[in-house]
Amino acid sequence: MKKILRFLKSMKLAILLLLVLAAACVVGSVIPQRQAADWYLETYGLRSGALILGTWSDDVFHSTWFLVLTVLLLCDLLWCNLSRIPGLVRRTAAFGTPDRLDVRAAPARFETAADPEPVFRRLSMPKPKRLVRDGKELLFSVRGRAGFWGAWVTHLGIFLLIIGFALGQATKREFTVSGVPGQTLPVGDTGWLLQIDDFDVEFTESGAPKQFSSALTMLDPDGKAERGTASVNHPATLGGFKIYQNSTGTAARVTVTRNGELVQDEILCAGDYCYVLDTPMALIFEGYLRQGLERDDGVRTDAYAWSTWYDGVSGETRYQPEGEAAIQTETVTVRFSEPQSFTLLVLKQERFGGLALLGGLVTLLGLVLSFYFQPKRVWAERSGETWTVCGACSKGGSLFCDRLREAVKSEAEREETEHAEG
Amino acid sequence: MLKVENVLFTAAMCLYFAAMIVYFLFTALKKEKLSKLAIGVQALALLLHTAALVCRGIGAGRLPLTNQYEFAASFAWGLCLVSLIFILKFRFPVLGAFLTPLIFLVIGYAAMQSREVKDLMPSLRSNWLGFHVSTAIIAYGSFGVSAVVSAIFLCRTRMRDESFWGQHVPNREKLDLISYRSVCLGLLFLTFTILTGAIWAERAWGSYWSWDPKETWSLITWIIYAVYLHLRVNRGWRGTSAAVFAVIGFVCVLFTYVGVNTLLPGIHSYK
Repeated sequence: MKKILRFLKSMKLAILLLLVLAAACVVGSVIPQRQAADWYLETYGLRSGALILGTWSDDVFHSTWFLVLTVLLLCDLLWCNLSRIPGLVRRTAAFGTPDRLDVRAAPARFETAADPEPVFRRLSMPKPKRLVRDGKELLFSVRGRAGFWGAWVTHLGIFLLIIGFALGQATKREFTVSGVPGQTLPVGDTGWLLQIDDFDVEFTESGAPKQFSSALTMLDPDGKAERGTASVNHPATLGGFKIYQNSTGTAARVTVTRNGELVQDEILCAGDYCYVLDTPMALIFEGYLRQGLERDDGVRTDAYAWSTWYDGVSGETRYQPEGEAAIQTETVTVRFSEPQSFTLLVLKQERFGGLALLGGLVTLLGLVLSFYFQPKRVWAERSGETWTVCGACSKGGSLFCDRLREAVKSEAEREETEHAEG
Repeated sequence: MLKVENVLFTAAMCLYFAAMIVYFLFTALKKEKLSKLAIGVQALALLLHTAALVCRGIGAGRLPLTNQYEFAASFAWGLCLVSLIFILKFRFPVLGAFLTPLIFLVIGYAAMQSREVKDLMPSLRSNWLGFHVSTAIIAYGSFGVSAVVSAIFLCRTRMRDESFWGQHVPNREKLDLISYRSVCLGLLFLTFTILTGAIWAERAWGSYWSWDPKETWSLITWIIYAVYLHLRVNRGWRGTSAAVFAVIGFVCVLFTYVGVNTLLPGIHSYK
């Protein structure tokens, strides 16, 4: 049991998991995800397609094995971090005290007759404490001890980030609503209604879309209203839902008349369908083509593209020129009219996004601590007229030794020059 | 303004080429003065390159970070900036002889792309664009420097200490450290890139992360460098293995930059 626990918090496992997760990510990015099973069999052949489906490589990022790997990584991060706390506390405390300093064991050591205090300044160290140890004068300064905690804080940040993301994915509620101004549409089964008051498309001088904005009113189950505007990059928050301006397209009105009497009147957005009267035939609106249809006389005209779906069979795309009928029988007329832009909105309720974001910020802080807070200590011990200046840096030791050597040398030269001039 | 940008961009490209030649001459003729001249030419090229990017930004009325040409030009700029910082900080002018060809290659790739200024789609009209792409430029530049330093590290054993190369190229320990430092800078900025991208994606599409190929490959790159740091820091995995890993990491960066945009479909695709 102890062996298993030790392995679960080991860096060996962490590296293994990271590499396997990276490999899984490669698979997930190269193989198109979440397609129909038949698509894999047709595209990759029977054997490879079956292998992809059998290993859940068609949906890597939501597969059980990917989830298990992520949970294992979380356990490893958590246990690794918890077990390191006592050692880090001891190390941080010991580095900041001059009790066990040994001149002979110092990674960098230089002798000088000059006053060593300016050397501390040259190395941007805090003003050194003056102490007496074993009857010898000692100057001691320490900096950047927070750097010891860099990796720990980074791991904590990654832990929070993954937990926040996973909880967010597991608990979020997401609804898609599409419609045209004037429509009031239900928000899933929540009892809330979303009223689209206006939809505006702003264009650049060259005619390209610049911004899409929807003026909205959210109505709670009691009919209480809250208004706001959602545009691209500027979601609205209404009634506890965050509303994103996601997309747009063409919608059209479809009317069905029987013996001249209007019996069905609906708005269909591109891709939407409705059943015609009480029959099992669905009418699918595919889009509106400006000057997209060439008539028999060679004149181009605007047209509605539509198709049918009946008893599991999709019909061919057909076109209804503006002003004509899509379906005309002796008694029934089906007609598309009033093409207009619809707005597609995504409504979300998510509670853990902030935790993931916090995790990201903590990770950044951890990396800054790891890379740019290098625990350093410099001390100088007096022996007669000579000072021995020593230094240690937990990261990048050789560079710090060079800097220390240069600082001691420069200070000795400066003092010598001043002495000569004086 | 875009005509001025064109002139400045071409001048910068010529100067990068000139800097590369002077760096080569420095290593071939072994004259110290040439190293200072090469650094000066590279700095001047960077200045003109910066002016070109500023003109592009003014001419387009937005940050010049949105299409293949703009990103490649900015990538070359980031590579040049980071390389100059490392050359000056570590007094390592020979690095320029290895990095300027890479800079010239990237800016040459930019020159082959369409320079047409197109209107931005609504989702790209965000202040997050600047943070997201500019941090990516620094990250990619740092990883480029790391890969080149690691490649030099791998050749360092063949350089005798008393030779010109031995005297102008830091020892293996220091090369390893320079490579490590540039990976640190790169990883920090890559983390910034991923985070700002996630925040922006949430504002634009309502989802922090959607496993788009670019997102996924950024994560793969992040994981590779994270593994590099773990192995190097905690296992004493310095030296040759770490250097090879840093080079492989940069290949991954290049795939994330060019391969994903051109080969895999997604929201970052230029297809």
